[in-house]
Amino acid sequence: MAISMSMAMATPTDSVSRVWSMSSLKSALPSTASLRLPSSSSRRPVTLRLPISSPSLPSFSGLSPVNPLLSIGLPDWQSFENGFKIVDGGGRIYAMRHGRRVPKLNRPPDQRKALLRGLTTQLLKHGRIKTTRARASAMRKFVDKMITLAKDGSLHKRRQALGYIYEKQIVHALFAEVPDRYGERNGGYTRIIRTLPRRGDNAPMAYIELV
Amino acid sequence: MAASVDPLVVGRVIGDVLDMFIPTANMSVYFGPKHITNGCEIKPSTAVNPPKVNISGHSDELYTLVMTDPDAPSPSEPNMREWVHWIVVDIPGGTNPSRGKEILPYMEPRPPVGIHRYILVLFRQNSPVGLMVQQPPSRANFSTRMFAGHFDLGLPVATVYFNAQKEPASRRR
Repeated sequence: MAISMSMAMATPTDSVSRVWSMSSLKSALPSTASLRLPSSSSRRPVTLRLPISSPSLPSFSGLSPVNPLLSIGLPDWQSFENGFKIVDGGGRIYAMRHGRRVPKLNRPPDQRKALLRGLTTQLLKHGRIKTTRARASAMRKFVDKMITLAKDGSLHKRRQALGYIYEKQIVHALFAEVPDRYGERNGGYTRIIRTLPRRGDNAPMAYIELV
Repeated sequence: MAASVDPLVVGRVIGDVLDMFIPTANMSVYFGPKHITNGCEIKPSTAVNPPKVNISGHSDELYTLVMTDPDAPSPSEPNMREWVHWIVVDIPGGTNPSRGKEILPYMEPRPPVGIHRYILVLFRQNSPVGLMVQQPPSRANFSTRMFAGHFDLGLPVATVYFNAQKEPASRRR
């Protein structure tokens, strides 16, 4: 439909009347808004305007900072403050570590996952283990996750736990005893006790134990 | 976030085994050349023989020493909490347990699974209890609180604990 295509290209802010409405915003979106136009166009006669000026179509225009108001909702949306960084997948990349909370443990992602799986398996098996402080504080989340799965107790959760813990018996023992042991406790199923550094490399060590 | 910095609270010794107390006596424990501080790691091979314990205080006061393990058989499943290793009563102040009456002979730490805490608790006795105390029927499922309540020992006057785990059978290469 020619009308819907042209309305998809209309920009909301270069109208004289400056009518901001959800329907006019949706009409600026490239694809799916066209489905809703029949209902919105009956309410708002402004959206039936044909576009007069279209060169300010917010497509990719090099690395120059684009007017943010024109580019809302498009994949090339760039942030207000640094209009010069390259963005992919909608994620922002900064030079600093601000706000990044995943502990990398000096390992690539596959090794990191395997390390955490092994550590949670051993903690659930032995009840108290001694490891470095970074590893102990990184594994808290996953131990709590396993205990939460055991608290739920359904077959699906059991299979999810079996996919994470390396030993079957530990999962079955966990599912058997967790409701008695942690039934009333909401979260915080581990405790970390800092201890003396390791002799070989002076790494700060900690005991992590199940509460 | 630790609500307290006292190592006995952080290590949950107060809570699992004891109640909150104010230490009024000094006790220094030595396994061989190694002095025991709260939470230090001891190898079972160095703890085969009973430790040297020096107790402060006057010689007319009598003390009771109890050594237990609240993490028996495994810290994740402490079914046999607590396992008592050593009970000595009627120790005169200022001396060591060899001068007291050993109710339960010393058993060395032998943790099968995991890292166990071994707690040495000192009580001050109000009166000599040597004749009334008998050996507990079994070492397992001991309760230090009930033991203290039974013989009217009150709150402990000193406590220290250490960790031990099973040593690997062969030396790591």
